Amino acid sequence: MGEVPRRADRAFVVAITSDPGQLNPAITTNGSVNTAAGLLYDGLLRLDESLTPGPALASSWETLDGGALYRFHLRRDVRWHDGQPFTAADVEFTFEQVLLKFHSRTRASLGPALVDVVALDDSTVEFRFRRPYAPLLQQLDVVEAPIVPRHVYSGSDPLRNPANTRPVGTGPYRFVSYQSSGEIRYAANRNYFRGAPSVGTAILRVVPDAATQVAALEAGEVDWLFSVSGPERERLRRQPNVRLLQSPLSAGGNNCITTLGFNLDRAQFRDLRVRKAIAHAVNRPQIVERVLFGEGRAADAPISSRIAFAYAEGLPIPAFDTSRAALLLDAAGWRRSDGGTRTARGVRGIEDGTPFVVGLTVLPGQSNYAEMLRAQLRAVGIDLRVGSLEQGVFAQTVFTERDFDTAIGAYCNGTDPEIGVRRMLVSSSIAPVPFSNMAGYRSLAVDSLFELAASALDPAERRRFYRAMQEIVVADQPYVWLAETMGTRAYNARCRGFSATSHFLATATCIP
Amino acid sequence: MSGRFIVRRLLQVVPTIVGILLVSFLLVHLAPGDPVLALAGEHGDAEYYADMRERFGLDLPLPQQLGTYALRVAGGDLGFSYVQGRTAAAVIAERVPATLLLTGTALLLAIACAIPLGAIAGRRPHGVRDVGISGLALALYSAPVFWIAQLAIIFGAVRLGIAPVQGMHTAGSDAQGLDRLLDVARHLALPAVVLASQEIAILVRLTRSGVIDELSRDHVRTARSKGASELAVLVRHALPRGLLPSVTVIGARAGSLVAGAAIVEIVFGWPGTGRLLFTSLQSRDTPVLLGIFLFVAISVVLVNLVTDLVHAAIDPRVRLG
Repeated sequence: MGEVPRRADRAFVVAITSDPGQLNPAITTNGSVNTAAGLLYDGLLRLDESLTPGPALASSWETLDGGALYRFHLRRDVRWHDGQPFTAADVEFTFEQVLLKFHSRTRASLGPALVDVVALDDSTVEFRFRRPYAPLLQQLDVVEAPIVPRHVYSGSDPLRNPANTRPVGTGPYRFVSYQSSGEIRYAANRNYFRGAPSVGTAILRVVPDAATQVAALEAGEVDWLFSVSGPERERLRRQPNVRLLQSPLSAGGNNCITTLGFNLDRAQFRDLRVRKAIAHAVNRPQIVERVLFGEGRAADAPISSRIAFAYAEGLPIPAFDTSRAALLLDAAGWRRSDGGTRTARGVRGIEDGTPFVVGLTVLPGQSNYAEMLRAQLRAVGIDLRVGSLEQGVFAQTVFTERDFDTAIGAYCNGTDPEIGVRRMLVSSSIAPVPFSNMAGYRSLAVDSLFELAASALDPAERRRFYRAMQEIVVADQPYVWLAETMGTRAYNARCRGFSATSHFLATATCIP
Repeated sequence: MSGRFIVRRLLQVVPTIVGILLVSFLLVHLAPGDPVLALAGEHGDAEYYADMRERFGLDLPLPQQLGTYALRVAGGDLGFSYVQGRTAAAVIAERVPATLLLTGTALLLAIACAIPLGAIAGRRPHGVRDVGISGLALALYSAPVFWIAQLAIIFGAVRLGIAPVQGMHTAGSDAQGLDRLLDVARHLALPAVVLASQEIAILVRLTRSGVIDELSRDHVRTARSKGASELAVLVRHALPRGLLPSVTVIGARAGSLVAGAAIVEIVFGWPGTGRLLFTSLQSRDTPVLLGIFLFVAISVVLVNLVTDLVHAAIDPRVRLG
């Protein structure tokens, strides 16, 4: 192989799919920025794999005024990567000047409820709300609310600050360089307040093609892949130098449920029997097996089973039953004579003789779901016509123009129903905003149960509100929840001790 | 060849570039999809998107946006890429050398292989050598480039380990000088060969038919009757004029390769403009997209100019004026 320049001190090489560009995760929810920059920053709190909040930049906290006031006590031993001390002023600045202006998710979820964020002294910060606000502690990790340095960003336009490409954080790794070849280098933060990472150098390398990523891992050129698809997972499982790690976290968000949404403005879906029939016709276990290659779980509630405190067990989700589906469709006026596509006879708002042809709009990455659904619905006489649209066009067609019959959305629940479930179900989020209420579903009861749950501080009470909400939604069936998806990371077997969080590398050790 | 010709051709370039700029601006802006979504993430409320639109001037009427952009470009400013956090010009300039290295190597490799192969094939049409070479060219021509690229990775890199799978240099390597050069060369090998294979396929066929055509002409018969050897006839008399179509095609390919190496760059993780074009398209990074279009347009026009000059040099019938 000739004289090959060896990697300096055996750096840990991370493959990323796309060039993140800038590296400030506080001004965007773009998945590739968050994936690349997660190691550089911290949140006030961190979430473990069961989503339980624990101390990070904040060492302790108190909930006051019945949940309308939160007080955080910050660590005093934290320094920014440039040596400046971290203080409460950084937290106040980050929320008031950056996150609430530019981080779309934090702004949309926290913004309306929050009065202000105030630094009381160097190590105490208060969040004041208009009314009791229960989900806050789930929204303060590095993904939802990374803290950026005031002394770097103050007085500048955060979107154009040069520090976005030369970031300064508090995280377990510090930024070293951004090579013109698109390679990003990090070094372990020797003064990290949770202990210096063992792996000294991390290199992020853009490898856009999934098959090339796998080949590069097999060849030992890269050490970590964030995501591996089903068939390749089986191949890598047989590789002695590769290990796999499953996680509900993905670049797009956490705890995602792939969901089929009905456009309730369309005449054929106003009838509950039709929606129930389709839910009965969909074979979710088969989707998990054939589309996800077993990497995931048939969804059985509107809230991910990973959000244990809000997930409701034993809901009456329609089971796979094609004869039940056929009966419901017959009753709704969609008749089948020759075993082919059903036609309308006496369906309200639809001319008799109209064949039951339904459009299904999907993102390119979801065409496998689409093909599976097409086959499953054909069995009950519904002709699904699949249209695949690239992300931006999908958002515009489905959410702005509402020009679709059914569509598949990967709804990431996040760490709290407030983050990713509320937006798909409450009537106020029927808006030209991506991944909002796709179905156009309106229920006063659901709206008010979300309000009640958000201000219920007692976890048991919150759980009851969410359960009641899920029962109503399942009965109304504006969506069919298909599968809870998982991500598979793959890594070189010379390393161990990874976590599935944004700080995945901070706890790892490698043999050279 | 005259300097006046070159100046005139360069002046003709200006309206071409302006036209391309206009069309690409409209294409990018009229295409569905929203740059704000790609930039800021997809979880905001309606007010947030309205704010961002105003910030980036996307709420202004299209002619006004175009006017602002045209003025900036005329002043040499391609705009600021919020996705990259830097100016679009800086982002593009960084990627150009990698692309030129890859496409230049591939093209040279293709020329070096294709012309002798095409000449050998054309010397005795339908002979054993011709059948072999033409068959190979046809196979390469029909195979999709991403498939050839995957085969190259599986066999060349993973199984045999003769070259690395991806990238332009070893991760984390700070090698300088000769070591750096060797490292880049090793990484260049597979993508350059894969990219060249497509060009070889085209050029072999063109050279072959050019040579067959020339070998039946009067001047070749004259050369033979004067007692010139078969090799001299081929190399000195048939090949130069038989190459004319190839030169035209090489010129056209060189221009389009600047952007057209995208698939090879993506599969091999090569940090060039083709890959940048792809990611910028996904992220609706308008300043970078338009900048690349402009760069490609200028390259194509310049390469065409060079092609014309080369044509004039090897074909005495062509006069520049």
